[in-house]
Amino acid sequence: MNNAMISFIIGSVLKIEGILLLGPCAAAVWYREQVGWYYLCVALFCIVCGWLMTFRKPANPVFYLKEGCVATALSWLVLSFFGGLPMYISHQIPSFIDAMFESASGFTTTGATILGDVEHLARATLLWRSMTHWIGGMGILVFLLAIIPLSGGSNMNIMRAESPGPSVGKLVPRVRHTARILYLIYIGMTALELIFLLCGGMSLFESVNTSMATAGTGGFGVRNDSLASYSPYIQWVVTVFMILFGVNFNAYYFIVFRQFRKAFGMEEVRNYLLIVLVAILFVFCNIYPLYSAADGLRHAAFQVGSIMSTTGFSTVDFNLWPQATRAILVLLMFIGACAGSTAGGLKVSRIVIGFKTVKKELTAYLHPKSIKKIQYEGKPVEHDVVRSINVYFITFVLLFAGSVLLISFNGYGLETNFTAVAATINNVGPGLEKVGPAVNFGHFSVLSKCVLIFDMIAGRLELFPLLMLFHPGIWKEAGRSSRLGRYLSKKNLQ
Amino acid sequence: MKIIIVGAGNVGSTLVEQLAHEGHDITIIDIVARKIQAITDNYDVMGIVGNGASYSVLMEAGIEQADLMIAVTEADELNLLCCTVAKRVGRCAAIARVRMPDYSKEVRYLQEQLGLALVINPEMETAKEAARILAMPTALEVMAFAHGQAEMIKLVVPEGNTIVGMTLAEMTKKLSVSALVCAVERKGEVYIPSGSFRLESGDTLTFVASRRNIRTFMDTFGFKTKRVRNTLIVGGSKASYYLAQELLHSGVAVKIIEQNQARCEELSVLLPKAVIINGDGTDEALLKEEGIERAESFVPLTGIDEVNIILTLYAKKISEAKVITKINRMNFKSVVNSLELGSVIYPRYITAEAIIAYVRARSEARNNNIETLYHLFDHRVEAIEFEVNEPSEITGKPLVEMRQSIKKELLIAFINRNGHIIIPSGHDSIEVGDTVMIVTKHTGLQSLTEILN
Repeated sequence: MNNAMISFIIGSVLKIEGILLLGPCAAAVWYREQVGWYYLCVALFCIVCGWLMTFRKPANPVFYLKEGCVATALSWLVLSFFGGLPMYISHQIPSFIDAMFESASGFTTTGATILGDVEHLARATLLWRSMTHWIGGMGILVFLLAIIPLSGGSNMNIMRAESPGPSVGKLVPRVRHTARILYLIYIGMTALELIFLLCGGMSLFESVNTSMATAGTGGFGVRNDSLASYSPYIQWVVTVFMILFGVNFNAYYFIVFRQFRKAFGMEEVRNYLLIVLVAILFVFCNIYPLYSAADGLRHAAFQVGSIMSTTGFSTVDFNLWPQATRAILVLLMFIGACAGSTAGGLKVSRIVIGFKTVKKELTAYLHPKSIKKIQYEGKPVEHDVVRSINVYFITFVLLFAGSVLLISFNGYGLETNFTAVAATINNVGPGLEKVGPAVNFGHFSVLSKCVLIFDMIAGRLELFPLLMLFHPGIWKEAGRSSRLGRYLSKKNLQ
Repeated sequence: MKIIIVGAGNVGSTLVEQLAHEGHDITIIDIVARKIQAITDNYDVMGIVGNGASYSVLMEAGIEQADLMIAVTEADELNLLCCTVAKRVGRCAAIARVRMPDYSKEVRYLQEQLGLALVINPEMETAKEAARILAMPTALEVMAFAHGQAEMIKLVVPEGNTIVGMTLAEMTKKLSVSALVCAVERKGEVYIPSGSFRLESGDTLTFVASRRNIRTFMDTFGFKTKRVRNTLIVGGSKASYYLAQELLHSGVAVKIIEQNQARCEELSVLLPKAVIINGDGTDEALLKEEGIERAESFVPLTGIDEVNIILTLYAKKISEAKVITKINRMNFKSVVNSLELGSVIYPRYITAEAIIAYVRARSEARNNNIETLYHLFDHRVEAIEFEVNEPSEITGKPLVEMRQSIKKELLIAFINRNGHIIIPSGHDSIEVGDTVMIVTKHTGLQSLTEILN
């Protein structure tokens, strides 16, 4: 285990976080808010720590998948911790665990909040919350890959650990260039949304926050009623962009390079858009009696886009909608958006391949000797990918069941418990009943909040990198490779 | 440079390793997903599973933007087809590996007609290298520069040799012709020596001289220079055929042991002067019967590295023969080095060196070609021969004027002026039209001007 390299990566992440924390500082200066000092302290602390950890470049830069996973998981834990720290010490969020919950929810682009009233928060804190979404959306390590040169094929192991999706592909031969292209597309689309929102008469501060929260498919709003009080134009713009940020970014790469046929030929993207469309139509028909046609369509599209892309904004309290619609929305949470986007959930590609395996199994009952290779995106799917998807489903179910059990000690109804876990593990945000769009997560016990924080990070990192930390073998190896471990083993030999 | 490599075999993966190390954007194509997976796990390159000769696969690999296409699959025909398709679709240069004797006779024609930048034949190059070593059996390695005008010899300084304890300056005084010691390996460390460097027994040194002067150098310092008179080859592969052809041409008696009856018959038609034995080359009794104890040289060229190693070790034990080991695939270089096999040839590095020389010369905007490139001492030292096509800050000036600005650990080994090899001293200068050979520990030089600080 390459401990030196892991700490180097974590140090680099800290440095970046420190620099990003200067963002809310700037906002605090602009709006003359005292909380800026707290952000500045944490920022400087992060930068100094990061600088110390990256002071010496590791002699051996090679690392493998396990190191990639461990580095990613630890980075995210560190990231969430230091992200929540300024909110806690500035008493913007007085409880420590609440601050951690808010920060984890931000970085994992969940958007579940423990705050009932966000409007009294300092502008700096609001901006920082949105920024966490934006950084967490594409991934801080992907950002790291784009700016620091790591040698060899090792860096693919980080990308694999942080990027969502069953199999991670590259756009161009080098990881570094791939990461750069992804971030350029990301920045470009965020800017585009910002312009559209400004055109709709939204204030600059709110536009910046909303577009960052949409880009990361996060869902922290700057108003208590999320997006309900904005004009229909703004709601439509956000709807369209939420859905767009759920699309696999490879499609945008193809569009930028004018390979339209490739972009629109992507099976995953087509399936994703199809599900979105069908769901909107269904919800629209189901809630038709409640609203006028225009309003109904807008609300249906917004809620479906928001849930499916795992953003979690809302324009109405969908907790009050008909049962069938509520069921649809909960199911959409699980599906999530495309792999290679900023969204959470199980991902359309996994669902599609899962369906194909079921169909194959049925065929196997009909013709026991038949041989059929599953095809996806026009290519045969390797057995390994199918296997890893199956294992992913199983792990997901186990983690889900365990979390629901732990949450249930709060004494709430099953609907609340179930959707609270679903909304966090899929990085959506709001659930139903006591965690619906009109309420928040503040009323849970400390234990429940810890479980939900874990679920959020596990869901964002696609389970395994975080679960790896619980494998005793990892710690044994890390211990053996540490200076103390080497010293002890030497002594043993003597 | 954007490079597409088709074929993820031995040579393909060596190329990926070395070209990715030099910072190129590489896409590798192979039909076997497992091989692609293994490569993309270890190197920062893009992998595509598919047939490299198909239009759609090449489009996916981005052939339109590619600068170079290298086809190194198993089959010669497929390689040529890949290059042909690539040249039609994209505007890239193409390199193909062609190994079959049928085609390799027509390399010129193929290269011209298909517009290929380079046709490489690792088997032929392996054979040529083996033949050069057999012509100078004291040498561990013999590398040719300046179209064979100059050679670089690597040898071990034996105990009790006259040069033990001498400095390089003293050696030069004793020598009537000009030669230059370029690099010395001592206990795992490599040195680019200066005149005051004192040699010890057990050092591995390389020196460069014109072909005529090499023998004088060897004679002066008491190394044997007699070429071998007969060779025993195990295995009837393509490389064996090429080697036998080279050796027979220069009057060496060749005996080939091959297991396959049909192949033996083929070889006997192709090489009427050679003795072809049909039998198992790993059979101790057969080897003895065919006189391995009295053979002057022994070259196992089977396809299995382990067998080659065992056979050389055996030959070293029971005979005085000069042995050469061919290692195709194995990676455990440190283990191989510790076995003291003597001369070891790595065909995949030979191929990679030729291609890297081409790639480096092309990626540099300025027009100075790299003629030859060799990696020495496990890639720690490079010997590169540059062609000087245009005047620059290093041409037309006596070298002594630039002494301060030339990089440390770098030697100008020779200047080749119209086939005349000059081992340069301070008052010599580099002129347009020369080729210049550089020996250096600064690996990755792309142009001659980079020798300056």
